[in-house]
Amino acid sequence: MRRSSRIFDLIIGVGLIGVSGFAMLYFLVNERFEWIPEQVLELARDPEILKRPPAKKCSECHKVIYETWKDSRHSISWTSETFIEASENRSKEKCLPCHIPQSVQGEKPSPRMDLRDEGIYCVSCHFIDNKMQGPYDLLAPPHPTFRNPDYVRSNFCGSCHQKTFKEWKATNVEDTCQDCHMPRKKGRLTQKAGFNLLHKKRWVGDHRFLHGEIKEKDVVMESGWEENFFIISLKNQTIPHFVPTADNGDPRLYLYIKFFNEAGEEVDNAKEIIAPQQETALPYNKKMRYRYRLFDKIIKAEVELKYQPAWSKEKSTVRTETVLR
Amino acid sequence: MSFLRILLIAAAFIFIGILPVHAKDMIVKEPPKSLSKYYPPESKQPKWIQQMHKMSTHFGGIFVNLKEKDFENVDVHADKLVEEYKKTSEMVPEWEDYFDIKAVEAFAAAAKTHDIAKAGKESGGLGKTCGKCHAEQEISVWAKFHWPSFHKIRVTDPISEKEVEFDDYMSSISTSFKGVTVNFGEGQYGRAAKALKVFKSRYMELKSTCSKCHATQDVKRFYVGQDADTSFAGLSQELNSEKPNPEKFWKNIGLLGKTGCKHCHLVHRTNSFIQKMWEQ
Repeated sequence: MRRSSRIFDLIIGVGLIGVSGFAMLYFLVNERFEWIPEQVLELARDPEILKRPPAKKCSECHKVIYETWKDSRHSISWTSETFIEASENRSKEKCLPCHIPQSVQGEKPSPRMDLRDEGIYCVSCHFIDNKMQGPYDLLAPPHPTFRNPDYVRSNFCGSCHQKTFKEWKATNVEDTCQDCHMPRKKGRLTQKAGFNLLHKKRWVGDHRFLHGEIKEKDVVMESGWEENFFIISLKNQTIPHFVPTADNGDPRLYLYIKFFNEAGEEVDNAKEIIAPQQETALPYNKKMRYRYRLFDKIIKAEVELKYQPAWSKEKSTVRTETVLR
Repeated sequence: MSFLRILLIAAAFIFIGILPVHAKDMIVKEPPKSLSKYYPPESKQPKWIQQMHKMSTHFGGIFVNLKEKDFENVDVHADKLVEEYKKTSEMVPEWEDYFDIKAVEAFAAAAKTHDIAKAGKESGGLGKTCGKCHAEQEISVWAKFHWPSFHKIRVTDPISEKEVEFDDYMSSISTSFKGVTVNFGEGQYGRAAKALKVFKSRYMELKSTCSKCHATQDVKRFYVGQDADTSFAGLSQELNSEKPNPEKFWKNIGLLGKTGCKHCHLVHRTNSFIQKMWEQ
C-alpha cells in the first residue's frame, strides 16, 4: 500500500514537472523568446531555409498554409496555360516581375532567375532583406521571423496589383485587400508534430488569396424605356475597387441584351464588354448608364450579365432580367 | 560627236544615277537560328544584346579612362574587351567572319600604351568589324527579337466571341468600318448606326489587344484614347439624330483615322510586314 502510494506520488510529481516544464516552454516560445540565449537558438537553426528554398521545404512545418497556397492562382502564376499563352511562352518582359517576383516589398518587384515554376511563393513574399518576415514576431527556431506591419496592409499587395490598389485607395473604404482576399481564422502556423503544440493559435490569413465571385447582390441593375431608346444602368455597390479589375489580365463582364417584338421574335440585340483593359469596368458605387436606340417596335428586352475571369474562357451568369415595355 | 559616244555618255549618267540607289538598297535577312538561343523564350535573358552592351561598355570605358588618365582602369577595360569580343565571336557560328581578333588585340595593345591618339587610330579597324555587322544585321535582329510579333497575338472578336488571328481581326475591323461609311454614303442611316455599334465594339477591343504588350495606360491611350471616344460619341450622335450632318460625320471619321489607325500603323506596320515575311 505504502509502496503503491509512492509510485503514485512519483507519477504525479513527474507529471507536474512535465506540465510545468511544458507550460514554461510554451510561455518562453510564445511570450518571451528573447530570454532564450542566441547560442541555444543557433542549435535549432536550419540554414537551408535562409537560402531561398522551394515551397515544399516550407511545407515541412507550414503544411496548412502550403496546401492553401497550392490551391491559389499565385502558385501557378508561372505554369498556368493562360499565362503561358498570354505571355507568348513567357517571353514578354512586362509579365515577369509579378509572375516570378524575387522579393515583394511595396513596389514593383524584380523578376528572379531561379525556381520559376514556384510562381509567387513563400520566399517571394516572406523572405525580405535576407530575413524571414510576416505579420508576427516569432521565435520559429529554424528561422527567426520578424514582424512587418505591411503584411496586413493593402500597399503590400499593391506591389503588383498596382492598378487595383489605386482603385481601392480612391474609394476610401477601410477594409484592406487582406480583409477580403485573405480572411483570417485562428489556427496554428505550424503543423509539425510536437512543435504545433508549442505555438499558440494566431490569426492566420487564407493563402488561397480568394477571388471573390461576382454575385447578383454585387451589381445593381436598373432599366427602362425612353421613346425609341432602351436604357440600362449597372452599379457596383459592394466591391471597393473596379469590377472586374486587373493590372494586365483581361477579366470581363458581358452584358447581353436581346430585343423582342410583339410576335415574340428577337429582332435586335446589343452587347457591352465591361473590362479593365477597355477602361469600361464598373467603378465602386457609381452608376454606369448604357443607351440603345431601337429601330423596331420592341415590347420586351431580355438582359443577362455574365462574368469571365482572366484565366478562363468560361462565363458564368451573374444575373438575368426581363424588362417589359 | 558620234552616236556611240553619246550612247556611252548617256549610259554613264544612267549608271551614276543608279549607283546611289544601289548604295541605299538593303536586305533584311532573317537572323540565323543559332541566335535564338540568346533570346527569350530559349534564354531566360536577352543574352545577345547584353553581350553587345558589355563590349560597348568596355570600349567606351577605355576612352573615358584615357581622358581621365585612370590608366589602371584603361587596362582592365582593354583586357575585358578582348575577352568579351572573343566570347561573342564564338556565340553565333554563322557570324564568325564579322569578327577580327587581331583588330581587337591591336586596339587593346594601343589602349595599353595609354596614348589616346594611338588608341583612337587603332579603334578604326575594330569599329569597322562592329559597323559591318550592325549595318547588315541590326535591323533584322531588332525586328526578330526585340519587337513582339503581331502574328502571335490572338484577339477575341467581341461580336463572335471567337479567338481569331490578329490579321484576320484587322480585316474584320476594316469590313465593319466600311459598313458604317458605305451605308452612310448611301443615306442608309439606320444601317450605318447598326454597323457603328459593331465597328465601335471591335475598335474598342483593341484596347485589350494593346494591353497584351503595352503595360502603361498612356501608351494604350495614344492609340485608342480620348480622340477615339470623341469620334465615336460624335458619330453616334449624328447617326441617332433625325437628320445626320455629313460634314460632322466625316470629320469624326477623319479624326478616328488620324489619331487611332494612323498612329498604330505608322509605328507598327513596317516591322509587322518584315516579321510576316519570315513567318510565312
